[in-house]
Amino acid sequence: MEKQFFTKNFRLHLLIPAVIVAVALVLSLCGLGINAGVDFTGGSMLTYKVGEDFDVKDVETALKDAGIADAQIAKTGSGEDTQLEIRAKDLGDASEDRRMALEEKLKAKYANLDFVTLETVGATVGRDLIGNAIKSCLIVFVCLLIYIAIRFDLYSGVAALAALLHDILIMCSMMVFARAFYQANTSFIAALLTIIGYSINNTIIIFDRIRENSRLLTYKGDTHKIIVEASVRQTLSRTINTTITTLITLVVLYILGVDSIREFVFPLIVGMIAGVYSSVMLSGQIWAVWKDRQIFAPLENLFKGRKSSKKAKA
Amino acid sequence: MKTRSLVTLLVTLLLIVLVGALAVNGLTVGKYIVKPVGSAIKLGLDLRGGIYAVYKGDSSVEDFETLRNATITIMINRLTAQGYTEATVTPQGSDRIRIEIPDVEDPNEILSIVGTPAHLTFEDPDGNVILEGKSIKKASPAYDTENGNAPIIAFELDDEGAKIFGDYTGAHIGEVLSIMLDGKTLTAPKINSAITGGSGIITGFSSIEEAQTTANLILSGALPLDITLIESNVVSPTLGIGALESSLLAGIIGVILIMLFMIAVYRVPGVVADLALCIYILVVFYALALVPGVQLTLPGIAGILLGIGMAVDGNVIIFERFREELKGGRSIESACQRGYKNALSSIIDSNVTTIIAAIVLMYFGTGSVKGFAVTLFIGVLASMISSVFITRFLLRQAAGLGIKNTKLWAR
Repeated sequence: MEKQFFTKNFRLHLLIPAVIVAVALVLSLCGLGINAGVDFTGGSMLTYKVGEDFDVKDVETALKDAGIADAQIAKTGSGEDTQLEIRAKDLGDASEDRRMALEEKLKAKYANLDFVTLETVGATVGRDLIGNAIKSCLIVFVCLLIYIAIRFDLYSGVAALAALLHDILIMCSMMVFARAFYQANTSFIAALLTIIGYSINNTIIIFDRIRENSRLLTYKGDTHKIIVEASVRQTLSRTINTTITTLITLVVLYILGVDSIREFVFPLIVGMIAGVYSSVMLSGQIWAVWKDRQIFAPLENLFKGRKSSKKAKA
Repeated sequence: MKTRSLVTLLVTLLLIVLVGALAVNGLTVGKYIVKPVGSAIKLGLDLRGGIYAVYKGDSSVEDFETLRNATITIMINRLTAQGYTEATVTPQGSDRIRIEIPDVEDPNEILSIVGTPAHLTFEDPDGNVILEGKSIKKASPAYDTENGNAPIIAFELDDEGAKIFGDYTGAHIGEVLSIMLDGKTLTAPKINSAITGGSGIITGFSSIEEAQTTANLILSGALPLDITLIESNVVSPTLGIGALESSLLAGIIGVILIMLFMIAVYRVPGVVADLALCIYILVVFYALALVPGVQLTLPGIAGILLGIGMAVDGNVIIFERFREELKGGRSIESACQRGYKNALSSIIDSNVTTIIAAIVLMYFGTGSVKGFAVTLFIGVLASMISSVFITRFLLRQAAGLGIKNTKLWAR
């Protein structure tokens, strides 16, 4: 390993996620963004277990006969696990008769048809959901920033948040790429929040080492960059081992789980990997670069000034 | 020292096995019954099947909070009358009511019963209201034996209602009296004579079940708020059970793999970590069973799995430090102490940040996000206790065993 593996090509390390996010952004602007589920868009999602292969045309006819317009049909699984997903504007409470009619028509063709789920979400609920999630995230961010700024320093706090932002953006990007397989629903929000809570750990462990090493005589006179390199290396086996143990359960869950679990576990696995990347490759570097440039010096002086004036009064 | 450490470790192992067996099988001693933990944990709707629905009311009306609580009480009464005793009805946010009903066969029927306004009125031909549903004291379904056994509701009015009804019917013989439910005419009989006894019948039902349901609705009272259904989710019980079983299996396999991994990488400390992990899992399951209001949902399972990851993480941090100290030439006992001391600040800081996130989500999140945050909080708290206290205790005992071969302590 060369002497500065983790800190040498900081620009390259920034470039990789930047490209991923940029591609996802372009796709989103072209109308191929995240596949938002009914939790966000409002409307109804009706799932049947068909138990055999079915013809989409049969479903289209049945929908037409039942008077359900503007419906999207999707087939998931195969063989005995074949499921039919119908997404429509309104299949909820008020249109119970139409749903019954549809079920009857489908059952005539496919005898093993079985009801699985019906989810109906009002149009405003999705907006509330996103609003609430963003609000919660912002509050979490502010609390984390305050805690880290107190326990470490302001640079660490902002660098940790930047790493978190990276993880969130990568997760959203991967959901764009996987739009054919996974819809974003409430569980995606839960996954984002999980990663926020988890990924901060990796970053904190590294900052803890940086804090400790900065006080050691061994590194006296060394640049911030060298301290970061040493700290990342010293914590590397911990970072890898911890991530492996957590990934083990997630991967097993992904393999064995049902669809709704996979929809949740996929972004978690992505976030977990993105979290390791941002902690090891980005967070320490961001700290070093900003610390070198002293970009928060005015802010820090403000706080220090206040503290010292308080002391003076006392 | 050696024997004492060995005995302590064996006793710990025995305790884990005992508590574990208690958690799986439960226990009955005389009149004291300890339920198996699995059956004491409340499952969310996504894991057992059922329906949840969210209604929205107009929060600009006066006394909205009181009216909402009254609505909730009536909804609970209706659900209980239909036999859904496990259903929960709770206020959500500033203007919503959330209903969760597990194990439902026909979700839409129950929703129409809960959400219907059930405003019963007796009206004269001009639409003036003479009596309302709240004057009815008793209502029960019956068959009208004189009329080909048609299903009816036999009702009794309270004293005041009986007087008004008697006076009105006496003064308006020959006129039509309409009985309306939510603006729909149930029946409109002609008044033949004054009805003074305060009892009567309502016809116009297609089945005895309909009469029963309507009687329940009348007795539970009209909903004092206008509400609209804005969100509902129905999960079939088979899907729920499938999700639960596969997550459980995944959890068991995952934990076994983690344990093997820890032993392979950390040797003796790995065994210690596995013991601590067992204790951690037991603590979390007991907490889930005992803390009131906690439901296990799909995101909740993820919260627990992450908690397991974090519990292991605490151990990994300690062992990595321990290894560094060992490489630095210290004895096993002193490496234990120093490694632990150095690891403490990172364990506390990393867990506190996660706890901060969990607390914020518990306060501001709704629905499944909240369920996730609660399990995450329990998980992280337990993992911190496990790595800060249990691992240190066990590691000391293990160090006291006198295994001098450093190859068994680290790779």
